[in-house]
Amino acid sequence: MKVEIDTRSIWVLLAIKALRPLFFILVAIGFWAVTTMEPAEGLTPSGQRAIGIFLLCLVLWVSNMVPVAITSLLAIVLVPLLGIVPKSETYALFGNEAVFFILGAFILAGAVMHSGLSNRIALVMMRRYGHSPRRLLVSIFLLAAVLSFFMSEHAVAAMLLPIALDISKALGLRPGRSNYGKLLFFALAWGSVIGGVATFLGGARVPLALGILEETTDSTIGFIEYTVAVFPLVVVLLIVGYLVLTRIFPVDIPDVAKAMGVIEKRAKGLGKLRYSEYAVGTVMLLTIVAWSTLGHTIGLSTVSLIAVAVLFVFRLVRWKNIEEYVNWGIILMYGGAIILGSALDKSGAARWIVESAISDWATTPWAVFAVFSFLAIALTESMSNAAVIAVLVPVSIGMSDNLGLDPALLTYAIAVPAGLAFMLPMSTPANAIAVSSGYVTVKDMVKGGFIMFVTAWIVFNLVAAFYWPLIGLGGLGR
Amino acid sequence: MSTTGYFDNPWALKIDLMLRGVRVVDPLAKAWACGTTGIDMLLPEETLVNIPCREEFTEHSPYELRRRGECHYITDGTEEAAAEILPVPEFYSRKTTTGVPFGDIAVVHGSYTVITPSPKCDFFDTDSACRYCTIIPDGTGEPKRDFTVEEVLEAVGAVLKEGLSKIIYLSVGFTDGDDGGIEFLEPYIRAIKKHHSCLVAVEALPPKKNRWIDRTYALGADSILYNMGIYDPELFEVICPGRAELVGRQRYLDALKYAVGIFPNGTVASHLIVGLEPPGSTRIGIDCLTKMGVVPILPIYRPRPGRALRIEPLTTEIIIPVFKHLYTTVKKSGVNFKWVRDISMVTTPAEASMLMEGAAGELTPLKNFYSSRFGLKAAWGLSTIRRKLRVKNTEA
Repeated sequence: MKVEIDTRSIWVLLAIKALRPLFFILVAIGFWAVTTMEPAEGLTPSGQRAIGIFLLCLVLWVSNMVPVAITSLLAIVLVPLLGIVPKSETYALFGNEAVFFILGAFILAGAVMHSGLSNRIALVMMRRYGHSPRRLLVSIFLLAAVLSFFMSEHAVAAMLLPIALDISKALGLRPGRSNYGKLLFFALAWGSVIGGVATFLGGARVPLALGILEETTDSTIGFIEYTVAVFPLVVVLLIVGYLVLTRIFPVDIPDVAKAMGVIEKRAKGLGKLRYSEYAVGTVMLLTIVAWSTLGHTIGLSTVSLIAVAVLFVFRLVRWKNIEEYVNWGIILMYGGAIILGSALDKSGAARWIVESAISDWATTPWAVFAVFSFLAIALTESMSNAAVIAVLVPVSIGMSDNLGLDPALLTYAIAVPAGLAFMLPMSTPANAIAVSSGYVTVKDMVKGGFIMFVTAWIVFNLVAAFYWPLIGLGGLGR
Repeated sequence: MSTTGYFDNPWALKIDLMLRGVRVVDPLAKAWACGTTGIDMLLPEETLVNIPCREEFTEHSPYELRRRGECHYITDGTEEAAAEILPVPEFYSRKTTTGVPFGDIAVVHGSYTVITPSPKCDFFDTDSACRYCTIIPDGTGEPKRDFTVEEVLEAVGAVLKEGLSKIIYLSVGFTDGDDGGIEFLEPYIRAIKKHHSCLVAVEALPPKKNRWIDRTYALGADSILYNMGIYDPELFEVICPGRAELVGRQRYLDALKYAVGIFPNGTVASHLIVGLEPPGSTRIGIDCLTKMGVVPILPIYRPRPGRALRIEPLTTEIIIPVFKHLYTTVKKSGVNFKWVRDISMVTTPAEASMLMEGAAGELTPLKNFYSSRFGLKAAWGLSTIRRKLRVKNTEA
């Protein structure tokens, strides 16, 4: 047991301790006030209560005073308790496809990591392409991005962390001082973040947005359709990210011979490609093909769960190996968010918010798209990206009706920027991992992250304006 | 051998009795004192004192303990003061489930019950031993074993059930290590805190690393004592050669200073033994410790045959000003001395206040509160809350 004694004044400590109960008392009073006050014009009583729950969840998600999953559970409890949606219907919403898609994706990613395949790919790529400081940097950057196409960006960052640490040590890079050290960990973090928005698999954000979209409208977005729409953004951000990083932190080492030794040693330690790696790799490839070709007909979650079943039928993984990779908190959080979105929609609250709060100034589709994408990219810097989706998507869907917009377009406007968090360690675990290494400081991250924040928002809007019409994703110009 | 005026002030009488001891004629009192370090008595104004009565020097004491009917009194032949012999704790006669007499484990000294879970001290029977140490190996040659946590817990349960003491005082001898004995005491402190709502004071050696002081507090110690014994640097080296060499006087001062920042105000204490160094040196020690925020506690040296360490002349007239200085210095410094309760073996700053003219009336209501059941509960509750606020477990 290692202990630390806080020697600040006892009154300061008491005041800090009192903040939490005070916060919850204020939140409870606020919630009570919102749900019991006279409904505003055009708002139904159940809509009023739905807004109360929405605001409560918003405050709890943003403040992080309780785990996000617990906030979602609270929403699940309050929606039927306040009579917004019947109990049976509420709990049935938890069985949304998106929840099972996320579960399947977690298990598949866990299988890939557990088999050692992802580690092998990383080492092989670095050994093959990383023979100079710049090439090694690009290798890590692209590797993090490409791996995040297929598995959670958080998992990719965590997987690459020990490799990057070993390389840094081998090169004698000084934490907090070495530019190359910073570059390595930025490459790991930003590569994961940028790659994470390329497909449905980089994070659970897009499936969640899709779940809310499908639950409240007839629209949907296909696996390939999404990737095709977002890919140019990913490419541009990877290029800009590399240029920004190497300008702010110029490479300060002449060669990486020592790092190659480490990579070589690690790669040799893996031995030859094992049966389980072959098999898991094959299942993963087939799953991606199935998502692309059969996703629309049998559903993404069905494909995921079939792939999961195959993994277990052929004993490629065991449940106890997979359990640690499944983030049950996120699954609970998504279920709650979908229920909350549905409650806002069914009670008419989402439409009322749009009509009364946003419709006056957001009169053109472009303005709405730009504002929602900005809100998403700004909010994701300080709150969970899934929470951003849960808060913004139901409102945006209500707005799309008013403007005659395809709700899928506004779902893009939120789901994609919500994954692009560059500025702060608390924005996403990938950034936190980079800062935790000791090589990247928060100041470094804010400095480079701000440029990326602005660039990402502008590029995303440009892609939507000029590229999307070419692939048939029009509608903003109407 | 004047005893002039001491019968008027029981606190002054306490000091004089501790210095000179008492001759015991009464067989009942003799039986009480048998096998103990002294006889615990209650003088007027609830003045608790442990009076030496078996040591050689007490044979020349002007004081005698006598009995009149059912009551005892102390007299010098001309004056007398009522003296109530504290009843022998009932639990002393009982044993743990493993057969160890509770009296071997726990010894009541007023508000404090002293428990030394291990009889070992690496200095025993070596040239490094503190010259004034009164612990004598039993001579059987058989190594004594440590008391188990369960045995100590049973003893604490018995003490608290009988309502004799409010604070459990755990002490440990010297063992060479970084931790000052805390690693050994850890399971005892944890167990006592887990099973009983009582305050725990710990007497240990200053650890080499401050993190052990943090840990002592985190474990549940409500008070810590690193007993220097002697402030004078040269005398410290001569009288405590082992501690001087393996711990170092400066480490005592550093550890006490650090502990003051960790433990609540008034709960870090150190003994300075009156009579082993010139009174002026004790005064300087009081000033130094008090300036750091440490509560100095002054026991009086009890000479043993063949260990003539006492400075001479040593009289109550000479040492009472030292106790007065203790009170005025501690009071002026703002160190909270009120939680250091009545201990029969020593004189605390709160007791020293009773030597000051006019101070007694000022302190009595406070003393009553601090020593009351409610005061104890308040102390325990505040101590627990404070610990919960301050301690952060950074690693399991």
